[in-house]
Amino acid sequence: MFYRDRKEWADLEPVPQDDGPNPVVKIAYSEKFSDVYDYFRALLKKDERSDRAFALTAEAIELNAANYTVWHYRRVLLQALQKDLREEMRYITDIIEEQPKNYQVWHHRRMVVEWLNDPSEELEFIADILSQDAKNYHAWQHRQWVIQEYKLWDNELEFVEKLLEEDVRNNSVWNQRHFVISHTTGYSSPAILDREVQYCLNQIRKAPHNESAWNYLKGILQDRGMSSHPGLLEQVLELKETHCSPYLLAFLVDCYEDALENNNQKETLNRALEVCEYLAQEKDTIRKEYWLFLQRSLESRFECIDVLLCQGISPLLKSDIKNGV
Amino acid sequence: MLSPLQLEEFEQIDFLRDRHVRFFQRTLQVLPERYASLETTRLTVMFFAVSGLDVLDALDVIDRNNMIEWIYSLQVLPTEDQSNLSRCGFRGSSHIGIPYSVKGPGVLHPYDSGHVAMTYTGLTSLLILGDDLSRVNKQACLAGLKALQLEDGSFCAVPEGSENDIRFIYCAACICYMLDDWSGMDIQKAIEYIRGSMSYDNGFGQGAGLESHGGWTFCAIASLCLMGRLEEALSQRELDRIRRWCIMRQQSGFHGRPNKPVDTCYSFWVGATLELLDVFQYTNYEKNRNYILSTQDRLVGGFAKWPDSHPDPLHAYLGLCGLSLIGEPNLRKVHPALNITQRAFQHLQQLQQTWRDNAGTCT
Repeated sequence: MFYRDRKEWADLEPVPQDDGPNPVVKIAYSEKFSDVYDYFRALLKKDERSDRAFALTAEAIELNAANYTVWHYRRVLLQALQKDLREEMRYITDIIEEQPKNYQVWHHRRMVVEWLNDPSEELEFIADILSQDAKNYHAWQHRQWVIQEYKLWDNELEFVEKLLEEDVRNNSVWNQRHFVISHTTGYSSPAILDREVQYCLNQIRKAPHNESAWNYLKGILQDRGMSSHPGLLEQVLELKETHCSPYLLAFLVDCYEDALENNNQKETLNRALEVCEYLAQEKDTIRKEYWLFLQRSLESRFECIDVLLCQGISPLLKSDIKNGV
Repeated sequence: MLSPLQLEEFEQIDFLRDRHVRFFQRTLQVLPERYASLETTRLTVMFFAVSGLDVLDALDVIDRNNMIEWIYSLQVLPTEDQSNLSRCGFRGSSHIGIPYSVKGPGVLHPYDSGHVAMTYTGLTSLLILGDDLSRVNKQACLAGLKALQLEDGSFCAVPEGSENDIRFIYCAACICYMLDDWSGMDIQKAIEYIRGSMSYDNGFGQGAGLESHGGWTFCAIASLCLMGRLEEALSQRELDRIRRWCIMRQQSGFHGRPNKPVDTCYSFWVGATLELLDVFQYTNYEKNRNYILSTQDRLVGGFAKWPDSHPDPLHAYLGLCGLSLIGEPNLRKVHPALNITQRAFQHLQQLQQTWRDNAGTCT
């Protein structure tokens, strides 16, 4: 039954949408839809705080859960009418299960959790959403918020490992791994760093063509000395024979670049240039122009000392100029 | 004379300009009820269509003046007593029920306020349609914007409260850039938030700790470019690392995150970022083009995220922009940071020059 025909609503004058004489991107609503929202607009205008208003917000949400004004008004009513927040948690749980990629529903859940100051259902709820879509960005964002806000770090690494066993290529999980470790033990201890390096290499042995694992490996080492991590370069060169990928080769280039920054050797530069050539011509041809560009950059940055001496230029001065000193 | 097989292949990869023009025309008219979830963002949908027509050099098919009036009816103007300044800006649509009006003073309503993405797309749409922004209350927009920035440097979308993240920093940066006035934001704090959003893998997430993503990386880099602070905020080493993360997103077209499927819109988000970083020239144009065109809807026009999927205004617009970046013939060039055509951008530059000249002559 339309709201306009209900006698308990007769005191309210419905408010239609008014787009003027030339509406743009007009949405053709059914009578039912317009009826609900005409009364929603009427309630908003009065800023009515009542149970009938609260009930109507649920109908409005069902028709369009992306209307952030409806959600805001519902939150005003939740507080003004002292509604049962546990019941609201059940409500928002159902809605998120139906529409897990909507911003408003996750924001609403966050507000209710904050009001209740109770995160106890969150990790299990989010795990359930992730079981349906393991890369849902909203779910991971909410998970990070809950963990950080309420200090729920204890079992998260275990959760990460379980998900990586299910899908070692899930980039969101690798990101979560970094999130957990960087906020708990950190990566400064050599024991932890080495554990993580070995973990990566083991995952790479199982699934070589996995950008996420290589990104993680590079990520934890790039500011801690890629080329100076004991035995790493050797392990990677070994893997190159049996578990090659564009990511392995790119990692090698980055190792050589790191080595060159500390000790500019012709041999190292040549190796780096060779790998760039291999990537450009054979192993990552879609990025051919980029690898050739990188090759030119490396050449230009780390031009050989003996070449410079032949040109009668002081190598120190020229490299100072190149490095912007 | 082409053989039937050659003709068929040619049809498969050709760009159906007229279909796309009609797609955007229909978008601007009436959408069926199943698009209800777009109600509060109708102004962004208008932007996709209007900017899309601009890229196609087909703005002549629409009534620009009528559209300009509709946009101005969405402006949240100050009330007589100016008590709502921190809520000013543009609405996404008429969904709150404010009676149609293109001029002030504003109407006092307990729940009426602007939305940062609507203020951004409202201003860009006005520019694209050739308006001179003279009816925009710039000071009110900037006051509304300022009210949205949080301590950590990020922005909310609306003053009532919403999620806060890097998307709205981008919207804010566009607004300040267009209005040529950065008093609406604390740039230093915004830069700190952006830097804090850089992931261990050198892409940018929606906020600190979050997974790096092509869309958020665009927001980060484009914002810094608009602020004129790219090289101040990021070192050469960091920029090189970001370039690498971005360029690895190409699989055929582009995806938004490692190990995820490609999607037409990332041809713009990642493509434009690469362009801003001067390395788009090193991507594979042919594979990118072939992917985008494989998502073209040959019947109704527009583009979808994937082949054999339904087109929508966002993917239709960004698919075109992706093609424009690779220099597809008969498409206008797009400004990679502001995401409007270079033509519309030049109009903005002329306007800003006029404002500066007028400011000089007023005493």
